[in-house]
Amino acid sequence: MSPSRFILKGFKMLEVKHLTKVYDDGTVALDDVSFTVEDGEFLVIIGLSGSGKSTLLRCTNRLIDPTAGQMILDGNDITTIKGSKLRLMRRQIGMIFQQFNLVKRSSVTMNVLSGRLGYVNPGSSLLYRFSQEDRDKATAALEMVGIEDQAKKRADELSGGQQQRVGIARALMQDPKMILADEPVASLDPVLAHTILGYLEKLNKERKITIICSLHYLDLVQRYATRVIGLRDGKIVWTGTQHDIRKMTDAEFKDIYGEDAERINAGALTGEV
Amino acid sequence: MASRKIEEVEKKPFLPGPVATVISLLIPGLGHILIRQLNRGLLLFASVITIIGLGIWRVQILAHREIGFFNQYLKAFDRKWFFIAFITIALVVLWLWIAMDVYRRAKIKKKGGFSIFAFILLMFFAIGWQISEINIPKAIKELPDAWPPLSRILWPWEAAVTRETEELTAGAEILIGTGDEVPPPVPVEVAGEPYLSSTPNIGQLSFLDENNDIVQGTVIHLVGRGYEPNTRTQLWWSDSIGNEFRPRQAGAYVTVVTDENGAFEFDLIMPYRLIPPSARGRQIHKVQAKQITEVGPLIAADPLKLTIELIIETIFMGMMATFFGIILAIPVSFLAARNIMKGSWLTMAIYFVTRTILNIVRAIEPLIWALIAVVWVGLGPFAGIVALTVHSIAALGKLYSEAIESIDHGPIEALQATGANPLQTIMFAVVPQMIPSFVSFSIYRWDINVRMSTVIGLVGGGGIGFLLVQYIRLLDYKAAGIAVWFIALTVSILDYVSAEIRNKFI
Repeated sequence: MSPSRFILKGFKMLEVKHLTKVYDDGTVALDDVSFTVEDGEFLVIIGLSGSGKSTLLRCTNRLIDPTAGQMILDGNDITTIKGSKLRLMRRQIGMIFQQFNLVKRSSVTMNVLSGRLGYVNPGSSLLYRFSQEDRDKATAALEMVGIEDQAKKRADELSGGQQQRVGIARALMQDPKMILADEPVASLDPVLAHTILGYLEKLNKERKITIICSLHYLDLVQRYATRVIGLRDGKIVWTGTQHDIRKMTDAEFKDIYGEDAERINAGALTGEV
Repeated sequence: MASRKIEEVEKKPFLPGPVATVISLLIPGLGHILIRQLNRGLLLFASVITIIGLGIWRVQILAHREIGFFNQYLKAFDRKWFFIAFITIALVVLWLWIAMDVYRRAKIKKKGGFSIFAFILLMFFAIGWQISEINIPKAIKELPDAWPPLSRILWPWEAAVTRETEELTAGAEILIGTGDEVPPPVPVEVAGEPYLSSTPNIGQLSFLDENNDIVQGTVIHLVGRGYEPNTRTQLWWSDSIGNEFRPRQAGAYVTVVTDENGAFEFDLIMPYRLIPPSARGRQIHKVQAKQITEVGPLIAADPLKLTIELIIETIFMGMMATFFGIILAIPVSFLAARNIMKGSWLTMAIYFVTRTILNIVRAIEPLIWALIAVVWVGLGPFAGIVALTVHSIAALGKLYSEAIESIDHGPIEALQATGANPLQTIMFAVVPQMIPSFVSFSIYRWDINVRMSTVIGLVGGGGIGFLLVQYIRLLDYKAAGIAVWFIALTVSILDYVSAEIRNKFI
């Protein structure tokens, strides 16, 4: 178990300055995005599909290289780092995905252990060998998400919710300072969505791991976020706290989700299916 | 309305219908082009030209001795009147049909009309029938000719087993001469052993004189005793330099049957001389009476033994070639996978080069690679393995690379995000996803390689094909039949086994 981290109040975990991403086909995915994530925050990004949420998250751990702008993680400029420095940066940031991105034919344990690859000796890992310490850590991570009894199964034998828990356990193996979650509950039913976000909240509160998460459902946003950013067409169009969501005006709502979107109650979004 | 007018202007033919029809009679297809039906015109023109060209070629083949096309045509008509008449009449019909088609199409804007192409196809079919020398009556009439080899191949098992033989032999020496010479020793009769004597034991061989008339040799009276009773006994002749052969009398090999006491008497005309008359010195020939009996249990005959040895060689050839093919195809497949190589222009260049080489190597059949390998490493199984390996690398490389291309990219992204290095990413995200198709393709290839190695011997690449082609050339269809049976057996067992293994893995 990794020890809980101390939070330095007001310490900037991530600073994003004037970030712009233009894809090869000319699509402008991010347009001069600037924001700061403080240590221990649960930041939620909202916005329509195609608004740049995924691109923003993938720029943060450099799975996508930004076109312009600067990113500072924990005081280090990570905008252009390469090779082993890039890998050392990435191993501090866990990531979970909408489609879970598990290796379906591998066992649950092997999927979880693969989260440790940034730390282990590259040679022996190529033979699928891990130290007992790492194996114990994997068991602990699976216990944390409550699926230790599934460890020996193949990943594709698990249900969607269980697979996403494996995804969280894999991210935990990295001892991350920060977890990026790209629509982690979009493929799950509402009950499971709360379970999964509950785990993220637990990690955020108990282990002080900073979370950046993109979400679709405003009721989930209200329930879990400490701060919210609204993206539209690659630009930040709204920022606020979870309490501000409740007070969000229809005009602000349409600013994020477009003119055609309609608010139902104070929660679910109907702008898209 | 304006746009419609432009359309009409655009579609207006170069020439009026009747003129185009007349032109079409001169040059088929040109009429269509003149009424703005370019594609149809070109296609018809090309068809007519091709049919005329092929027709002239066939006429020249049929009458290659005649001079002048008219004479050739008459001769060809003489030989294959039906084909020549059909193709001539059809060509005339086609010519007129094309002209008529122009006339109709110029008048009414008709679409479709594919029956003319069906007719052209029929003409090509007739020419194809002629070129490929199809002769169904012959196939039916001479069907019985297929029976001797076929029956032997279908049931070759008499040749698969044999027994040890035991020989009961006695011989008597005969001197070539006129009777004045010292005679050769007369055999001594020993009780319980076979005995053969010849009277006289000096004589002349048969020969042809200068007019090619037969001069019969001396008749020798043979007396045999001490043989097995009531048994067929072969007579053998052995000349002064040791050539052994069975003499014939009245066209048949000489055999005698012993009486109930194991004795026989026989008058044998001394056979033709094989040694030239200029030969000098005492020439002592030998006549022998042999009883050959089969004894003991059935044992495997040479064809069966060789077949079993070589079928084992064949299976292992296929296995080794598959093994080397897999080992070498794995690295190659990564170079030929677009999703792995799309990083930069350099890797993309490697990708295209690898792909191209794989496609070329795969297009060349293993039998042709074997011809090259035989020159390279010499006759034998190794040449076969080299040929099969080369082809396997190309075939598996392509299949594997397609398997790599079809993998889910999500896990790769996930592992990159954990800080894994590229090699770790491949081992943990790519390899596990590849395993099912990898196993399936590899077993499929093993299957193919064993099947191929049964024929790669035809060109000297070792394995059972080598034996098979030898037996076929010796017209030993029974021995060939044994090889064919074993090949069929091996391939079907392998088919079953590989299907079972694949089902287990997927």
